[in-house]
Amino acid sequence: MDLIFSAVEQTPFSVWMREDLYAYFIALIFHSLGMALLIGGGIVVSLRVIGFAPAARLERFRGFFPVMWVGAVMAIVSGVALLIGYPAKALTNPVFALKFACLIGAAVLVRHLARELFPIAERGEALPSWARSLGIAALVLWLGGVAAGKLLLHTYTILLVS
Amino acid sequence: MDPIFDPFAIEQWARGTGIFAMMNSKWGWPIAEIIHFFGLCLLIGTVGMFDLRMMGVARGVTMKELHRLVPFGIAGYAMCVVTGLLFVVTAPGQYLYNPAMQSKIVLMMIAGVNMAVFYGTAAAAVSVTGADDLPPIRARVIGFVSLACWLGVIVGGRLVTFYRPPEHWCLWCVS
Repeated sequence: MDLIFSAVEQTPFSVWMREDLYAYFIALIFHSLGMALLIGGGIVVSLRVIGFAPAARLERFRGFFPVMWVGAVMAIVSGVALLIGYPAKALTNPVFALKFACLIGAAVLVRHLARELFPIAERGEALPSWARSLGIAALVLWLGGVAAGKLLLHTYTILLVS
Repeated sequence: MDPIFDPFAIEQWARGTGIFAMMNSKWGWPIAEIIHFFGLCLLIGTVGMFDLRMMGVARGVTMKELHRLVPFGIAGYAMCVVTGLLFVVTAPGQYLYNPAMQSKIVLMMIAGVNMAVFYGTAAAAVSVTGADDLPPIRARVIGFVSLACWLGVIVGGRLVTFYRPPEHWCLWCVS
């Protein structure tokens, strides 16, 4: 696996990501803004499902989904660029997998909530009892992804390039 | 010479209070960073989404009701301020004369003034705006300024490590 990481790290793009004065920071900025839009939208939907702002029509929160998609695309594209810069540092760190698990889990959960709950809300019926628990789970997963992301800098053990 | 801040005295104070040792312990700084980012997430997830709604996103969501989530954003802001102060007093030389940090502070001040303008001039109109309607143009502009400021704060935060010392920006210093 180290050979693959080394090969990626020797590509011109990877070298540029590490050595250009601005490339890494620009990718970091886009990653942060993308994550802010994605997780911000996820949080507002989760809070509503949990039961806050109960008079706001839940199904209309789908209006925030395009914002989350824009954020997700920004976060993924910039995240891939950052990953190509330091593949060994990220992919040998279990916390990186935890970050992914949390964010993918949260996104899947929000999609599930939208599919199951939005039609119920649209009909004006009461939400099922499990909705609140899943809303809390989604919120925890979003924040878990953030926490794991912040821990990456402090938990990596392998750095093949600097 | 800085007539306002004394980085050495600030750091000595942090050492005396135990903040410096706590922040430089194995998990002190990472935990403070996590709390800082939780705060930012709550802020963007509530205030930022309210700003977007004022700008016309997610029509059908009542702004008056969405505004009930703003206390989460205030709690998030408080988390950011407390942890941000921990960063600054622990490494004042890294932050006080850093253009990214200074930009961040200016943007927060603009966001604060913008918020005062919102509650002074637009909140009443927004609270009676229908769920499917756009608020008055003033509120839309306020929402845009607010969101731009908070996203700018995030950019400033990311750039703090770009302008490490010996970068020294101090417009208020005297020679």
